[in-house]
Amino acid sequence: MSASVPLRLESVSKSFGDVQALKPLSLHVRAGEMLALLGPSGCGKTTTLRIIAGFEMPETGSVFIGERDVTELPPNKRALGMVFQNYSLFPHMTVAENIAFGLKMRGVGAADRLARVRQMLGLVRLAQFEDRSVHQLSGGQQQRVALARSLVTDPAILLLDEPLGALDKNLRERMQFELREIQRRLGITSILVTHDQEEALTMSDRVAVMSEGEIVQIGTPTEVYERPRTRFVSEFLGTANIFEGIVKGEAGAGEWTVALDRGGEARLAGDSGLATGRRVSFAVRPERLRIGPPSGSALMAKVQDVVFRGSYYAYELVVAGQDEPVFIYTQSRATVPADGMVGLSWSAQSAILLGERPSP
Amino acid sequence: MSSRALSEPAPPIRTRRSGRFRLARISWTWPALLFLAVFFVVPLGANVLRSVTGPETAAHGIFAYYTKLLTDAYYAGILIETFRVATVTTLVCLLVGYPVSYFMVRYAGRWNGLIVFCLIAPLLTSIIMRTFGWNVLFARRGLFNTWLVQSGLIDRPLDILNQPVMVYIGLVHVLAPFMVLSITSVLQGVDVRLEESARILGAGKIATFLRITLPLSLDGIATGCILVFVLTNGSFLTMLLLGGGKVTTLSLLIYQQFNLTQDVAFAAAMGNVLLLFALVCLALQARFVRREGVKQ
Ligand SMILES: Nc1ncnc2c1ncn2[C@@H]1O[C@H](COP(=O)(O)OP(=O)(O)OP(=O)(O)O)[C@@H](O)[C@H]1O
Ligand SMILES: [Mg+2]
Repeated sequence: MSASVPLRLESVSKSFGDVQALKPLSLHVRAGEMLALLGPSGCGKTTTLRIIAGFEMPETGSVFIGERDVTELPPNKRALGMVFQNYSLFPHMTVAENIAFGLKMRGVGAADRLARVRQMLGLVRLAQFEDRSVHQLSGGQQQRVALARSLVTDPAILLLDEPLGALDKNLRERMQFELREIQRRLGITSILVTHDQEEALTMSDRVAVMSEGEIVQIGTPTEVYERPRTRFVSEFLGTANIFEGIVKGEAGAGEWTVALDRGGEARLAGDSGLATGRRVSFAVRPERLRIGPPSGSALMAKVQDVVFRGSYYAYELVVAGQDEPVFIYTQSRATVPADGMVGLSWSAQSAILLGERPSP
Repeated sequence: MSSRALSEPAPPIRTRRSGRFRLARISWTWPALLFLAVFFVVPLGANVLRSVTGPETAAHGIFAYYTKLLTDAYYAGILIETFRVATVTTLVCLLVGYPVSYFMVRYAGRWNGLIVFCLIAPLLTSIIMRTFGWNVLFARRGLFNTWLVQSGLIDRPLDILNQPVMVYIGLVHVLAPFMVLSITSVLQGVDVRLEESARILGAGKIATFLRITLPLSLDGIATGCILVFVLTNGSFLTMLLLGGGKVTTLSLLIYQQFNLTQDVAFAAAMGNVLLLFALVCLALQARFVRREGVKQ
């Protein structure tokens, strides 16, 4: 296995007609890490990947693999591996021929090819499927053949475009685990494109959240989940309850008191230098909200609905004067009075201050 | 209420209706079958009969006409010529058609409709009009010759109109669309991402074409080739009107036998040989064209 190399995009941009698919975008993928590109449909994830692969020429900027500028290189000279959403296995070849294709193109001899193919089949646990036609494989098996095919040539970078998108939920979870395991073992620098936030959070070392052709935040899964910088990021990465209010003053070490628009007061931790009187919005994750008695809580709300979701209860509540409902996830059922009126509270640490940037 | 509903026997609506429907479906094909029987099967049978009962069969056995066709140097030559014209036309159509198909599927986008129209257009014009068009283009003082002479490439105008090449031009002009449409329909099912996968795996443009695109479009190529081959064998107007009558193929000969020589039995035998050609082609197609596996 060759040593891991980093990947760098420097102010890469691309437009199709008058659609600006990518605004000048820079991205640094560290050697050996798995970076997830996460974002809603049409935000430019595939375009980014296709520029890295060499299928699209960026209008500005450059692509570096390791220290080498590959912007002008055709896809076949870039030493990449890629797994497509629909796997794109060659239908006229067997499993072994599919995997051997890349080696054949590099002029590897037949005996070596066979040895490498067998080794890869072992890696993806498909040893007995060597001579099968690809039509005779299940979705998960095809996925693994596609992975083996992309890894057999020892690529410098592995590109994964929604690799698990076509699998059902159970299989997807298993494959997430398997894919991650293989990626770690080989230490190959990888980019995973997905619009599934859970997949991005569970599989990657870092997540780059994209919106409208830009990277709006990049960080470890915990960082982007716990400390989203904008309302968009907080809402895209799972459910977020957004509250607004005005800073009333400092309340001790790094905590501020906020007068909420919908009544009540709450505490907010974090950023130093929040000026008194400033308008702020912040997010609280559903699992960080607590249901309590009306007295002594930040906000009053009325329980609308409660759903058991297997491992937790999901409460939907309405706060008077606010259109969007508030969601709360709890492990155990809360005691709700007959009129449904409860108090909401949260710790200062779980309130996430959101940036000024207007959300799309 | 509910007990009454339960005690009532269920009316057999479903079974009766579906039974009648199926019966109707079979009977609906009768007009078509009748039509085929009267205007296709019977004439074919009559033709076979005619070819083995003509005047010469009395003297030389019932296969007299077939023997003559295959052994007489002149007729055997025409058989070979027929085969050659069809093969060359097919190959030229393939060479001209494949790039057009590829362009249509991969790059044409919204121009696709226009290209299809341009392809079909020659089929909508009568052979007389087309012949006239070729005359305008290729006559001694036509556009093509004038241009060649003026550009200094040749000294004297070429007599293209009366050369066999004119027949090929005429045939390719009308038959290429069949090739293009056959290949296009299959090529559309070849996912671009298969080509991209091959590129990423280290294949250059040519290797990608030879190892991925071409093998996956073989079905379309086979269908197109067989179609063009069979259609070339069947055309005689092009040979009659273009190229100064220098190319004689079996179908043109049949036309002449029926209309000029009136040797009906011999014409029938030739017709049957031509039919056999077509049947062999269709059998080949059924055998080799898979029509599966391209779309994942
Ligand atoms: N070949 C193309 N021609 C024209 N516009 C394109 C082309 N490819 C992408 N676009 C546009 O560029 C933008 C970004 O597309 P891209 O495919 O990168 O999105 P994505 O983030 O991968 O979305 P999805 O999650 O739906 O796959 C979209 O607005 C899309 O319509
Ligand atoms: Mg995409």
